[in-house]
Amino acid sequence: MSITRDTAIAPFSKKGAIAPPRKKLKVPRLFIFLCLSPWLFGIIFFTAYPMISSFYQSFTKFNLIESPQWVGLDNFHRMFFEDDDFWKALKNTIWISAISIPLRICFAIFTAWVLTKPKRGSSIYRTIFFLPSMVPAVAGTMAFTYIFNPAYGPINKLLEAIGIKEPPFWFMDPNWSKWGLILLGLWGIGDTMIIFLAGLLDVPTSLYEAAELEGASGWQSFRYITLPLMTPVIFFSTVTGVIGSFQYFTQAYVASGQVNDYSHSMYFYATHIYFSAFKAYEMGYASALAWVLLVITLLCTLVILKTQKRWVHYPNGSLFK
Amino acid sequence: MMKKRLFASCAVIALVASSLVAATSGAQAASREVTVWSPYQGGNLEMWNAAIKRIEAANPGLNVTSVGNIDMAKSLAAINAGNGPDISVSNGNGNLGWFCGTGAWQKLNTLIAGSNGINMKATFNAASVASSISNNVRCALPLYSEVFAFYYNKDLLAKAGFKNPPKTTTELLAYSQKLTTFNDDGSIKTAGFLPWAGYYGFDMDSMWLGQMFGAKWYGGDQKSAFSSDIRWAKAFNWQKDFIAKVYGDGNFEKGSKLLTKFVAARGGEWGTDHDFMTGRVAMKWDANWMAPMFCTGDDWTMADKCTAKVNFGITGFPVSPDNISAYGSGVVGQGQMGISKGSKNVKDAWIVMKALATDTKLAAAWDAANGAPSSLLAKAARPASYPDWYQPIYDVVSNPRTAYHTVKNTGEHLEESLVQNLMASWQAGDTSNIKTALSDLAQKVDQIVARNN
Repeated sequence: MSITRDTAIAPFSKKGAIAPPRKKLKVPRLFIFLCLSPWLFGIIFFTAYPMISSFYQSFTKFNLIESPQWVGLDNFHRMFFEDDDFWKALKNTIWISAISIPLRICFAIFTAWVLTKPKRGSSIYRTIFFLPSMVPAVAGTMAFTYIFNPAYGPINKLLEAIGIKEPPFWFMDPNWSKWGLILLGLWGIGDTMIIFLAGLLDVPTSLYEAAELEGASGWQSFRYITLPLMTPVIFFSTVTGVIGSFQYFTQAYVASGQVNDYSHSMYFYATHIYFSAFKAYEMGYASALAWVLLVITLLCTLVILKTQKRWVHYPNGSLFK
Repeated sequence: MMKKRLFASCAVIALVASSLVAATSGAQAASREVTVWSPYQGGNLEMWNAAIKRIEAANPGLNVTSVGNIDMAKSLAAINAGNGPDISVSNGNGNLGWFCGTGAWQKLNTLIAGSNGINMKATFNAASVASSISNNVRCALPLYSEVFAFYYNKDLLAKAGFKNPPKTTTELLAYSQKLTTFNDDGSIKTAGFLPWAGYYGFDMDSMWLGQMFGAKWYGGDQKSAFSSDIRWAKAFNWQKDFIAKVYGDGNFEKGSKLLTKFVAARGGEWGTDHDFMTGRVAMKWDANWMAPMFCTGDDWTMADKCTAKVNFGITGFPVSPDNISAYGSGVVGQGQMGISKGSKNVKDAWIVMKALATDTKLAAAWDAANGAPSSLLAKAARPASYPDWYQPIYDVVSNPRTAYHTVKNTGEHLEESLVQNLMASWQAGDTSNIKTALSDLAQKVDQIVARNN
């Protein structure tokens, strides 16, 4: 039987009559506008206007005192051809993104997987693992610089106790400081972990039971069932991770202030924007940096979006397909 | 009837005329409003406001509004938006280049030379006269001073056989070699002196190092002198040599590593576990406002007889042997104030600013409360309430070679940060060729200055 409009609506109709159209709510347009106005106000004055303004300023020399002077593409030329700090900040940012995003995802999957195992008290364990992500970034970073202090920090005391004679100086060593930040990021993995946990709990147990019947090993179950079904979550975490890591600022700023990071090993792109705008008072240049950051982030996100067809497996009917 | 009309008309005209006169005089009174923004709070703001009241009393019709707890970033934003104060105050010299260079603070040359002007040299000490100029523009008047001098632990020096503090950098190295001790595992137990960027010094260590060698920040051609003044390279090489000889047994890399770890374990800056108080370090650069803590510990009070366990003395920086005439000097910065761009009442703002800068009562009260010597020549002497041991701070301020480095419109303490970064990179062994690095630094500073001009 082919489905027609009449048969489709039949269950809703009386005596074959077409169901009456839904009553249109008569809400005055002004009321709708008033309800939307807080959001509209926010988007216009705190997002759209600053964006347009900063786009204009990126082509100007603007020191906050004098009126912006049009300099064309000078800021961009300086950025790419004269500013060593730009390249250093970009390099550091790419480094932390390339290392921290995969590590965070792997660690989050692993932690989430571990948290699916307890039969009792799972909610307590989940809370414990999630708690660090609720610690304010500044407090967490200060605690980490203490824990990793090369002179009296417990980590190096432990490393010395197990026979490592010259443990790293962590945040005080340009070669190790970024690894300190990576560990700090992994400690606060709770928010990502909770998404993966939800994803893992969503995998139908029947698939694992079938795999077990077929004699699949634990690894094979993970490789061929869990991982494919987790790819949408991995995809989401990668995109948000890229956006977040290119804006990485608070932890690096606090840590570098705590240890006097004069070598700029923890100098990231967002730090460069901050210093250009609020220390050197070069608002035009800082705006140009911000727009280049937007373009870089956009390109990275587009690349990830383009490649998703090859590796992201959506369940049938997914809205995200 | 005509007479009545005429009378009525005259009355109306008289009324209108008198109203206009009243309105005009009212407008005149209103125009004598001056707004002063300062970063002060608590007792300092009270002293400041008391001085403002004196100015109002001495200038009938002048109405000054004082607003405290305003930092320079806020002032800058307000000046830019066109609603800044008539006068704003900066706590130090770091922003001066920026405020002068960009015109956020107006040039004062005409006002200073005018009929109600000031003879700067006859009013303020030499360091203050020099440091309220930037980019060859005088846009500020100085307030109280902030003095950086050399602190030494008398007991530790005596124990090592030294009766007097070191006068030269050569002596400083020799003293440090004798005062530095090591633990059994080879780590540093106590240090003599640390020429180390980031050891309690914020961004100031490089400035102090430069002062010891008499190095100039800008040359006569107004270009950055980091490369052209060979004393910078000399200072950096001395630093490296010092680290190698005192802490590394001749090996710079070893000394650098040991110092990094030593610095990592330093005690807190604002309490009695400060390294200087615990005897972990015997000699150091520091500010005058640290003296009360070194004297009475957590009480932070001046006392004739210090109660904290460190028996210390204060003197000028040790200097390089070829800069011996500068011995006794140190670094001094000042609070600075200027008239904002866009001030609608420059004439009265100048009256207020001049009165604040030259108010001997304010200077004396400020000095007595904060141990911050005035920049006024007339108030250069130590207040009677201060102990004898604090006298060297006043001696350092009075020394004609005491100065703050020239600042240009590079940004907020940006020159200092850039030199400090180089110093840190050098001490960590990350920079191998100091001449090239100094040349690059000079070029960078010149580029920034050129861009901002």
